Amino acid sequence: MLRKILSSIAFAIGLFSAASVQANDIEIGAVFPLSGPNATYGDIFMSGADLAAKHANDDGMLSGDLKILYEDSQALPQQGVVAMNKLVNVEGVPYVLSAFTGVSKAISTLAQRSRTVAVNGGGVGPDLAELGEYFWNVIPLANNEVGALAAYAVNDLGHKRFTLVYVDDPLGESILNELEKTLPSLGAELVESHSIAASAQQFSGVAARVRSNNPDVVYVASYGSQQLQIVKQLRDNGVKAQIASYSAFSVPGIQQQEEAQGALFTTQSIDWDSEDPVTKRFVDDYQAMHGKNPTSYIANYYNAVRVFALLAQVLEEQDKEITGANLLAQRKATDTFELVGGEVSFQENGTLLAPIQVLEVDGSGSGKTVFVKATE
Amino acid sequence: MLFLQLLANGLQVGAIYALTAAGFSLIFGSTKIFHFAHGATFAIAAYLFHFALAGMGLHWTFAVAVAAISAVVFGVLLDRFMYAPIQRHEGSFFTVFVASFGIGIVVQNLLGSLFGRGFMSVATPLSNSVEVMPGLYLSPLNGLAIVCAIICFAALHFFLTRTFVGKALRALSENPELVRMFGLSPRRLSTYAFALGSLLVVPGAIFTAAGTGINPAVGHHVMLISLAATIVGGIGSLRGAACAGLMIGVAENLAMWKLGTQWSEAITFAILFFFIIFKPSGFFGRATVS
Repeated sequence: MLRKILSSIAFAIGLFSAASVQANDIEIGAVFPLSGPNATYGDIFMSGADLAAKHANDDGMLSGDLKILYEDSQALPQQGVVAMNKLVNVEGVPYVLSAFTGVSKAISTLAQRSRTVAVNGGGVGPDLAELGEYFWNVIPLANNEVGALAAYAVNDLGHKRFTLVYVDDPLGESILNELEKTLPSLGAELVESHSIAASAQQFSGVAARVRSNNPDVVYVASYGSQQLQIVKQLRDNGVKAQIASYSAFSVPGIQQQEEAQGALFTTQSIDWDSEDPVTKRFVDDYQAMHGKNPTSYIANYYNAVRVFALLAQVLEEQDKEITGANLLAQRKATDTFELVGGEVSFQENGTLLAPIQVLEVDGSGSGKTVFVKATE
Repeated sequence: MLFLQLLANGLQVGAIYALTAAGFSLIFGSTKIFHFAHGATFAIAAYLFHFALAGMGLHWTFAVAVAAISAVVFGVLLDRFMYAPIQRHEGSFFTVFVASFGIGIVVQNLLGSLFGRGFMSVATPLSNSVEVMPGLYLSPLNGLAIVCAIICFAALHFFLTRTFVGKALRALSENPELVRMFGLSPRRLSTYAFALGSLLVVPGAIFTAAGTGINPAVGHHVMLISLAATIVGGIGSLRGAACAGLMIGVAENLAMWKLGTQWSEAITFAILFFFIIFKPSGFFGRATVS
């Protein structure tokens, strides 16, 4: 009898504590690569998202603790859909952080159907701007990045002949399309493009082909470990042309890679020395926690979580439920957001408009980049 | 000149493929164990070589010894403590495969946790190519990989044809019952096969760490190539696996001479399908009647 009473009490306590956690916590989801060759990006993205959640909780922006439920996509569309399904149908989150073009495109249908907001801060395929009103981007897309870099390379450096080495996925295809569209209008040409499988690791043959074309610029459209292998093998195999890429190069691996010295890449323009309170707090706290400077990816996912906190705060003040539909309506009703990098606004298609900067890897091994130019 | 360059690249890649494929083929041919974790052995050897050289600052000869010992120990431990119990309980071929596959995934994640999930490479001037003829670039690693493969195969040939254990291993692949009748222990020979097969991945792992760089998933590709080379070369034929590995490496690179770069990997499987359809016994395998 006593055992039954004790177990009933224990059960009741368990139920009560579970209910109190659910009542107090406000949960959002994230579909990031946490394992596999692109897991390094997951760590980077999480550091930004977690810092934003910490700031929101420290400031008491919401009625409960903001928590992020992480699911592993392995940067693969199929795994991404499995993760999104769990977050939407089991956890019931109204807001999901997404990364990588292929994964983002794969989960967008479910986001639209379930009226769950999905926010991308890492993928840059231009078609991510057209995935429905529940899909938002807090990162400038490849059309902006490729255009800015091509203009700089052609107009400022006088380069005319480009070769593209691109991974055979939606991201790579979109960069190929952008270069084919952009270069002729600048008076330059794409002399050859080399498609590579996402799993490829051996690029000495690609380097031989690139060298035989004698381009001025080799644009690398890959990510993760693969882009580092491409850069190393291009240089090891005698390719001396200017290497260029997009924001995927803003990872510590590239910044510390000797062979990447002098490589140009683009990110959205953020003044890390800005006195704007949101940016300053983000930079100071990140440096204090990690002992190094943040990158644009970290700022993007900080911003993605901060956008949620700002919208949810207003919804709670209005006694409205925090749902995907209400978050969308509130975003449309909000003209500007105070985010890292300054005051920004969303375009009609749910993509943030931000200026682009061209950076150069200084190759000192200290993980620094050299600011080259900012473009609107 | 592009053809010559691709041929030179292909010979280097093929030499590494040949060694790893020969290791897999030796294990599979002798023990009939589908050692999918052969790729994990490759990854362990590459990572520990990198760690010993860059992390601990050891001389490269000691780093090579660390890589070799770790590969052999890993292979032998797997044989003793995973495959042997499964076989004792008469586990099926599929059970062994799943267990081996699982070990591959565990090792990949362990390496990621211990050494980081990002890209690593050994910084060495040996990987820098120099222009030996107009348009033809070769690195010292190109030559070293080919020379090392030739030496390893010569030593392997000597071991298998001139030593008692080598002959016993060949006998094991032919007829395990006969080996027992001669008073030899197939289990002990299996351990030798794993030790030797695992040792054969070490040169490839070291050249990969120095040349293309490594990440925790590096073993998958190695495993796919080893498997394809074993089938193309003829199951159980070391000579066949080595030739097939070399052929696949050369074909992967030469494909880029006229075809797009995206066909490079596909060519491996095109060769594999060709052999499966038109010569299922492979280069040097013997046709069997079931």
